[in-house]
Amino acid sequence: MIAHSIFFFAFAFIAIISAIMVTVSKNTVHSVFFLILDFISISCLFIMMGAEFLGMIMLIVYVGAVAVLFLFVVMMLNVAKQSNEWFKSSSRSSHIPIGLLVSIIIFFELIIVIGGWKYKPELVNNSINSVSSEITNTHSIGYVLYTDYIHLFQLSGMILLVAMIGAIVLTFRKRSGIKRQSYFKQISRERSEGIELVDVKKNKGVDIDV
Amino acid sequence: MININLIFPEIFISLSIMFLLIFGVYKKNSSKLVYSLSIISLLIVLALCFNLRTVTEVYLFNESYQIGYLSTFMKILVILSGVFVMSVSLKYLKINNILKIEFPILILSSILGMIVMISSNDLIVFYMGLELQSLSLYVLASFNKDNILSSESGLKYFILSALSSGLLLYGCSLIYGFSGSTNFIQISENIDINQYSLTFGIVFILVGLAFKISAVPFHMWAPDVYQGSPTPVTLFFAILPKVAALTVLIKILYVPFLNLIEQWQMIVIFLSIASMIFGAVAAIGQKNLKRLIAYSSISHMGYTIAGLSTGTNEGIQSSIIYISIYVVMNLGFFCCLLMLKRDGKYYETVEDMSGLSKNHPMLSFSLLLILFSLAGIPPLAGFFAKFYVFMAVIKSEMYFLAITGLLSTVIAAFYYLRIIKIIYFDPEKEKFDTHHNIALKVSLFITTIFILFYFIFPSKLIQIVSKINVI
Repeated sequence: MIAHSIFFFAFAFIAIISAIMVTVSKNTVHSVFFLILDFISISCLFIMMGAEFLGMIMLIVYVGAVAVLFLFVVMMLNVAKQSNEWFKSSSRSSHIPIGLLVSIIIFFELIIVIGGWKYKPELVNNSINSVSSEITNTHSIGYVLYTDYIHLFQLSGMILLVAMIGAIVLTFRKRSGIKRQSYFKQISRERSEGIELVDVKKNKGVDIDV
Repeated sequence: MININLIFPEIFISLSIMFLLIFGVYKKNSSKLVYSLSIISLLIVLALCFNLRTVTEVYLFNESYQIGYLSTFMKILVILSGVFVMSVSLKYLKINNILKIEFPILILSSILGMIVMISSNDLIVFYMGLELQSLSLYVLASFNKDNILSSESGLKYFILSALSSGLLLYGCSLIYGFSGSTNFIQISENIDINQYSLTFGIVFILVGLAFKISAVPFHMWAPDVYQGSPTPVTLFFAILPKVAALTVLIKILYVPFLNLIEQWQMIVIFLSIASMIFGAVAAIGQKNLKRLIAYSSISHMGYTIAGLSTGTNEGIQSSIIYISIYVVMNLGFFCCLLMLKRDGKYYETVEDMSGLSKNHPMLSFSLLLILFSLAGIPPLAGFFAKFYVFMAVIKSEMYFLAITGLLSTVIAAFYYLRIIKIIYFDPEKEKFDTHHNIALKVSLFITTIFILFYFIFPSKLIQIVSKINVI
């Protein structure tokens, strides 16, 4: 139990610190790195709670795709060196009041949620009872996904296929005048195609057509 | 054990999508072959669906999927019109240089989404089908990506449709929250009639569906998208998504929410009246034929959902007959539009048709019949479609709706007759090309024959449709 809480506090501490660092750090690339750290620690917390499927999905989707995408965008747009002027500049920024407003609203929402959980515990109990502790999350999702909802599962595969076809149709263009290297052509070239014996006449030279 | 043979059409169409995709990628310059193969696979799917015509009512996948008379009829309608759309549009794609392997594949996947929508008996299944079909339609609308109008229409449709999908999902979540289930049958068992909060959910779902069938006031996208997309895609837009969305509308209004009819009836009546009047009035000033047909389809959708607002089986059946005849009429009109070609360029304004009758008497005659039928002049098919709807509406004693519908028919007749006047009495222009591919000619012939001779055998369609009892 003690080891459990030590791990919990470690991950939670890292998550909070890195979340703060995302907003404060002056270099945008560093912010993205801290964002990745934040996602990873949160997914560790999920796994500790027993929600291993959610944790892994979090790793795959947020770290594997979203954060890397952010990193690429930040690097390509070359905004890394842009200094964070919110705190430094003397002129009043319009971002701070709106940011404060949003965070206050989020704070109150959290209070309402946690208060409801504290003073109306049967709400939470119901949701816990319905999850069996004997089989893992992944198993129980798999049980319904491949039996009751198999048609929907297959259909969503078709939707993703159509999305892929659509992206290719709308963006792919055949460009002419590009020189591509073809290993097959290079290897299968015969001597007769590359070399030509020319009878050179006196004072005439050779016509070269390349 | 699930009866797997009931979902053979869906399985076959998805397998053929994947096969054709791989085939098209590995075999170079095979776009024409993939095109004809996908028409053949659609024909096979049609046969598989036709095989299910005797199935009365079967539920699959925990009652989230339903095969019955209604769904089979609508599936056959969708797939049959899909075959016609694909066979008439090959030439246009070739001339405009947009014949790629992806075109038939996207059409197939859109049709897959539609038949899933049509069979759905659950909010999640319905939403997945809707997303599959509209995702393919976004790409199809901007398929001619070098044309700025086409790209604009794709973007416009994408943004507005995403917005309407969001509203629809919000409605679904409200209904799930208040009834505790996403299944249509369980929703109808669980709902409390006195609970007015469910009405919000119904309204949001109706907004999403009205957007898909482009009923006023959610029609703003239709004219621009119809004008900008390539003509075959416009034809596709004008027919198939509306059939699918109408089926879902019938199911949602009559399976889970039949008991709440007092709450949604006024909304549907408003949608119907607004669409009929707006579609008739706004089409008057249009010069582009595709824009004009967009407004015309808005007003036709008004008549279709007028039948739904009655809350009776006759109303639903009249709506289904209306949409079937609407599909045939639009198909014929677009066949004519695809024939207006001169020197490798397609013409699509009303002025281009002036004096058409002198050079092309046959084409003008079928256009005359189609336009008369769209206006609802007896004894053509369009008249009967309107007749059934008005009969059902008058039987339910909604005289105001019937009178408004009749008046807007008169207004709408003006712009159809104006085109006929331009074709027959205006000075002639240069000749259009006379040699067309055989599929286009055959389709125009079939649709014209159907429209002209429907009045001889009206009972055939009625007999088939009268088996559909939703309530």
